[in-house]
Amino acid sequence: MKKLAAILSSFMMVTMLAACGSEAGTEEKANGSATGSGGDEKKTIRVVTDAAYAPFEYLEGDKIVGFDVNFLNAAAKEAGYDVKLEHVGWDPLFVELKSKRAAAGISAITIDEERKQTYDFSSPYFLSINKILVPEGSDIKSADDLKGKVVAVQSGTTGQAAVEKLLGKNHKDIKKFENNNLAIMELINKGADAVVADNAVVEEYAKNNPKQKLKVVEDSDTFDAEFYGIMFPKGSELKADFDKAIAEILDNGTYEKIYKERFGTSPDIEKLKQAK
Amino acid sequence: MIKVQALRKSFGANEVLKDINVTIKPQEVVVVIGPSGSGKSTFLRCINLLETITAGHILIEGKDITDKQTDINKIRAEVGMVFQHFNLFPHKTVLENIVLAPLKVKKVDKDQAREKALSLLKKVGLEEKANVYPDSLSGGQKQRVAIARALAMEPKIMLFDEPTSALDPEMVGEVLEVMKQLAREGMTMVVVTHEMGFAREVGDRVLFMDGGYIVEENIPKHLFESPQQERTKAFLSKVL
Amino acid sequence: MDFRFDIIMEYAPYLLKGTLITIGLSLAGIVIGTILGLFIGLGKMMRNKYLAFPFTVYITVFRGTPLLVQVLLIHFGVVPFFIGETHAVAATIIALSLNAAAYIAEIFRAGIASIDRGQMEGARSLGLSHVQSMRHIILPQAFKRMIPPLGNEFIVLIKDSSLASVIAAPELMYWGRAMSSQYFRTWEPYLTAAVIYLILTLLLSILLHSLERRLATE
Repeated sequence: MKKLAAILSSFMMVTMLAACGSEAGTEEKANGSATGSGGDEKKTIRVVTDAAYAPFEYLEGDKIVGFDVNFLNAAAKEAGYDVKLEHVGWDPLFVELKSKRAAAGISAITIDEERKQTYDFSSPYFLSINKILVPEGSDIKSADDLKGKVVAVQSGTTGQAAVEKLLGKNHKDIKKFENNNLAIMELINKGADAVVADNAVVEEYAKNNPKQKLKVVEDSDTFDAEFYGIMFPKGSELKADFDKAIAEILDNGTYEKIYKERFGTSPDIEKLKQAK
Repeated sequence: MIKVQALRKSFGANEVLKDINVTIKPQEVVVVIGPSGSGKSTFLRCINLLETITAGHILIEGKDITDKQTDINKIRAEVGMVFQHFNLFPHKTVLENIVLAPLKVKKVDKDQAREKALSLLKKVGLEEKANVYPDSLSGGQKQRVAIARALAMEPKIMLFDEPTSALDPEMVGEVLEVMKQLAREGMTMVVVTHEMGFAREVGDRVLFMDGGYIVEENIPKHLFESPQQERTKAFLSKVL
Repeated sequence: MDFRFDIIMEYAPYLLKGTLITIGLSLAGIVIGTILGLFIGLGKMMRNKYLAFPFTVYITVFRGTPLLVQVLLIHFGVVPFFIGETHAVAATIIALSLNAAAYIAEIFRAGIASIDRGQMEGARSLGLSHVQSMRHIILPQAFKRMIPPLGNEFIVLIKDSSLASVIAAPELMYWGRAMSSQYFRTWEPYLTAAVIYLILTLLLSILLHSLERRLATE
């Protein structure tokens, strides 16, 4: 009886070892071809997003697409990671990172001091500024003209903060919506006089929907420029890898190519590099 | 007073009344007997159009109630009906049950309607029950209230659809007593009943119905003592 | 767990205002929905199948689609189509009323159908018209039986009014969400909103219970 057990267990050990050996072998090969850096182990990281923020991240069928997705893939490839991107929603995104269930979050998240206290950010990858979306022929020419008008915003965005700075916090003329799509629909249906949101959002919308006869108003004196960063849990080791990768793709033209494909214009790479 | 000509009534494919012809004279008391399912209740319900008529005519005082021009509510106001299950309105007091139709249909003024209702209650022996709800009455009392309610409209004809069938035996007498009194006062009545004693004592004429036809009709004495038809004989031998 | 009462205090005036609007939306929905529901319920009970058909369709559509979908369609579609601009409060009242009317129509229909046929026959045999019989005999009795299911429907309606936050009607939930997205907090805004909704629904059920008792003793 004892003898039989011994034979069985040694047989199993041999098989297991053989299996491990062959697995390790293929993995090494995959790593080698993907990163060119040989023996490094390629890790899959879980990244969360709120895919309701075109053109940065939104759903096409069940696929998450957008500028952030293209950028993230390029940066992750450069840094040597595989990415599993998951749509969880805006508020849950912060919870996931705080509890470290996700390795990173990318969702056009503005780098600000308050968030920096709880999370780490990569170096900036996108320059954004709030702009005003109004119907053609509107008398709103600057941010100051928003006073006395009904303004629709996405709840919890810097656009909301910027408008509240002008009109007053929780002012009755500010309509807060779950996302920018609803805010813009409110504008189109004449329930609001203007929408304040990130330039990429409003410009993309005005460009793609010429029939709605909307125009974009800039006011860089009133609205501050913001930078988006990839967000990590506090003290994440990924930050250093991604900072290096971002610097690399800013320099080697990969970033410019992605940006141009999406927005049709050239990015201000110098400004991105200067910001930290 | 009532003239029924070639009356037919079907429920879907089931023909319940097949060619009914009968004439009822003023002040006559006609009792309708027959086995259950013979169509006698349906016949009665046709007389005030609680059932829609499939074919034929019913004339009440010369007016054809099957004619679409006839205001059926006006006809019904003149034809009182008493149901097996009383159909009192449980959310209204006895008095309210009685004055409702005079107030709403005849537009009688309130005091007059009330006075009339109280005198009718006295007539059926229930004047002390004016302000209670029907639920607190016995079956016999309920049926007497129902009769008073129908009488409040001062109908020319009263229809009774098995008025004592749902009552405990000891209460049958009090209801029949009220009906006898009505008959004595000269009310024209059509009564569907299983009370053969009542039919014999009060009826001017008895109709025996079976299978959707009036099989035989005669004065009570003749019909009960020397029935002509086999079916009448068979029925009477079971119930007498 | 740290619970920040200070942010609840900060938002108290907004939550209070929101609560008043929630009450207003719900009351309007209850009143309009009940009146509309009565007519639709009666319409569905019409003997003529062709006339009753549209009412059946109405009930099927409004009971068979999510209220959130109805709210969005009415806010961004129906209301702008008629008045040329959006109006969140009006859209919410319309959506709540139309939706509740479908459920209330069924409650009415069931309530009326539950009244013994003899009641209608008794009334008609006395010469009352169909409308008079309905008004004096059938509806008062049916109404008593409808109170419990109507109460349930009204409670659902109060809770469902929270969907108006999606179209930025400044009701209770809207301010709860505003508070949540400003401070990235979960417990304070939503627990506060939950407690307020609970108080509202409790008050309503107490009210309906006393009404039911009063009618029962009558």
